[in-house]
Amino acid sequence: MFKLASCDGCQLTLLDCEDELLAVAEAVDIVHFPEASSKVLPDGPFDVVLVEGSVSTTAQLDELRHIRACTRVLITIGACATTGGIQALRNFADHDEFVRAVYARPDYIDSLTTATPIADHVGVDFELRGCPIDKGQLIEVITALLVGRKPAIPDESVCLECKRRGTVCVVVTKNEACLGPVTHAGCGAICPAFARGCYGCFGPRERPNTRALATLLKKHGADDPEVRRHFRLFTGYSKEFREESERHE
Amino acid sequence: MPERIAATELNSLVSLLQADGYRVIAPTIRDGAIVYDEIASAGELPVGWTDDQAPGEYRLRRRDDSAAFGYVVGPHSWKQFLFPAREQLVTLRVRDKQPEWSAVADEGPAYAFVGVRGCDLAAIEIQDTVFTKGPFVDGRYRARRDRCLIIAVNCTEAGDLCFCASMGTGPRADGDYDLRLTEVGDELLVEAASARGRSLMDRLPTQAGGEALQVQADQAITQCGDAMGRSLNVTDLPAKLMGNLEHPRWQDVAERCLSCGNCTMACPTCFCSNITDTSILSGDETARERSWDSCFTADHSTIHGAQFRPDVKSRYQQWLTHKLATWTSQFGTSGCVGCGRCIAWCPVGIDITEEANAIAAGPGHPAPLPEPKQYEARENDGQVPVPVRVASVVRETHDTVTLTLDLPDGYQHGHGQFNMLSLPGVGDVPISVSGSNGQALEHTLRDVGKATGALADLVTGDVLGLRGPFGTAWPIEEAVGRSVVLIAGGIGLAPLRSVLREMIARHDDFPHLRLLYGTRTPNDILFSRELLGWIQNSRVRAHVTVDRGDSSWDGNIGVVTKLIRRKRLPKDGLYFLCGPEIMMHFALAELLADDVPEKNIYVSMERNMKCAVGLCGRCQYGPHFVCKDGPVFRYDQISDIFGKSGF
Repeated sequence: MFKLASCDGCQLTLLDCEDELLAVAEAVDIVHFPEASSKVLPDGPFDVVLVEGSVSTTAQLDELRHIRACTRVLITIGACATTGGIQALRNFADHDEFVRAVYARPDYIDSLTTATPIADHVGVDFELRGCPIDKGQLIEVITALLVGRKPAIPDESVCLECKRRGTVCVVVTKNEACLGPVTHAGCGAICPAFARGCYGCFGPRERPNTRALATLLKKHGADDPEVRRHFRLFTGYSKEFREESERHE
Repeated sequence: MPERIAATELNSLVSLLQADGYRVIAPTIRDGAIVYDEIASAGELPVGWTDDQAPGEYRLRRRDDSAAFGYVVGPHSWKQFLFPAREQLVTLRVRDKQPEWSAVADEGPAYAFVGVRGCDLAAIEIQDTVFTKGPFVDGRYRARRDRCLIIAVNCTEAGDLCFCASMGTGPRADGDYDLRLTEVGDELLVEAASARGRSLMDRLPTQAGGEALQVQADQAITQCGDAMGRSLNVTDLPAKLMGNLEHPRWQDVAERCLSCGNCTMACPTCFCSNITDTSILSGDETARERSWDSCFTADHSTIHGAQFRPDVKSRYQQWLTHKLATWTSQFGTSGCVGCGRCIAWCPVGIDITEEANAIAAGPGHPAPLPEPKQYEARENDGQVPVPVRVASVVRETHDTVTLTLDLPDGYQHGHGQFNMLSLPGVGDVPISVSGSNGQALEHTLRDVGKATGALADLVTGDVLGLRGPFGTAWPIEEAVGRSVVLIAGGIGLAPLRSVLREMIARHDDFPHLRLLYGTRTPNDILFSRELLGWIQNSRVRAHVTVDRGDSSWDGNIGVVTKLIRRKRLPKDGLYFLCGPEIMMHFALAELLADDVPEKNIYVSMERNMKCAVGLCGRCQYGPHFVCKDGPVFRYDQISDIFGKSGF
């Protein structure tokens, strides 16, 4: 397990797998896990590496290249690693201006002008979505790797999870702004179950019709800046959400 | 005889049901909508509430009376109780490396559904047909259905999205109910249609004089039928829709459609499901789980990484034509009951009646669909694998192996049928039977993915799971005395091998037998020793061609269609084709150009079989299910859709 620019929440998800953690530890040798252990072996080679976080500094880019070079199966976990994450919002703004405005000594800051997903830099074998990732899906990916099959991670809309759990649609009953129809399932449709629209934490699903959703948001009263903000959240730098948000510049 | 009861006595009914041991499921208000959920008393019914519905919109509103059933249908349907969104089908236990599969028994509660409208009663009957009318019967569904008691309600007020009158399913709730209510003012007309219903009626504080109330009820129901918010022109609708697959409206709707799948989830008849094996990482017991799926997902139409319904247009087309057209061939009725849920719960408000009316009115020539098939219902649900031992593994080519399995007790199959082979934690794969004798069963498979790779890695003595046989067989008896030509491409030789072996053995029945086999390279030739035997055998004329030769090859080079062109083939012969669809496409073109009648050609269409028992909906191929109506089809059954995009 490695981390780049991230909050550690996705690493924590592995520790959260309380019931399965022993089985995981029995099945694999965990040799590098900064969130869980002070004793780390960062040099590899590794059979499997899970990486959280996006590439935000040149040092991270160097580290990532090193990881890729000594890893057989590279799996990126979470919104930062797969789409750039919340810090990728700076890609839509002036990085240097942020640095000047926020830090007393901007010359101490050595960051790239963009925060980007890992797949922009090195080959990735599997992407696990979410902010944070879902623990059931994490176990599924690990299990599938061990058994040698394709992980059963359905690429479908959040709406299907909503309907399976019997949640009443918040768009239809309340005109709530909800990214569910264009968002990759996996969270279990938590937000709509608490009467909120989906924030798109798991990023775009395959073939998301973001244009049709933007039209709906507008029909329900959102103006262009609001539509833009809806698409620019945790996974706002993903290709599909970014392109839709740019249509509302 | 109908009787009458005061609306305030509804709680007596709920109490009686509870005393009889039922969990009472009824309309009740939650999260701004009228949902179906368990109620403790009639006080939880939405008394005095109604719903205002429009495409993509649903709002609750207070009524100015205290009607108990003064609304139409909401986001839920009764299918969530009879066909739960998630359920375990089979458990798997591995003991000393020996897997054991067993069916999960249904031990759920008995439900009493209160307030089932005409459209929903029709929807339940449609799902009864899907799950219990064969060839395989879903035992869990049937058990839940047999236990459940239905209290129907006639509609006296139509909603803006209702069109049950068009579909012939309402507003009167006709069908398989136990007790039926019609609300007239502050009274209810009560009618019983079963022994359970009559027993309830006997115990309710009803009054005589139902006939007078019935007149008023009938009038209100008739008025309701005339006040439908929507209508669908169903005259010849299946043929009109199938004749207008090129209508520009499909692209227009695809631009509005989110392909989120809400319509399929809200639909009370949609039954597609996905089947997954749960994680085997911890514990020695795992389960195979079924969950609601949708034809709007990519996975629904993905085989070996290729999607055959890649765009929103083809997915919407699949949904609409299935619901309103091909369903008729599959199950004998329309798949739509006119409840309007898909219109209300579509976030962008796509209206099925508007789309279907517009498309059906298009200029395309009506394309009639096949008559519905009848199946013989079997007791076995076909979903539980039996453990079988690998007797031997033969490597045929660099990527293909033949697994010989011990024959399970009582197992019998036809040539061309397939089995589902199951490995713990890996899942189920459909594989054709490539040969058999009294003791053993052969499956030849190519290592193309993770699951087939795991099967190809098995060794003698390993145990795997087997379900089957499934599907149709080559029509061998129809071929007796006729010229028979088998045309195989690549791995497609496997399902033809067993039929060829039998035909060679029965030479008197099949005196004119020919095999044309094409494959990529000499190294990809399957069953090479046996093939050599066929080439030398006077009972069959066998010809082999390869796409690309090498220095060792002095035979034919070119695709299999070249062989077809070169040989004088009988027009009145029977042709059995199996191979990649693109190869079959070109082979068919040659045969048809040679005036071979479509009905003389049989093709094996192996596509996306998942449950293999006709329940998951994945292998739908127009009006057919590959797993139960195929994989062997007579070509004229599928010639309208073969090779067409979206199918």
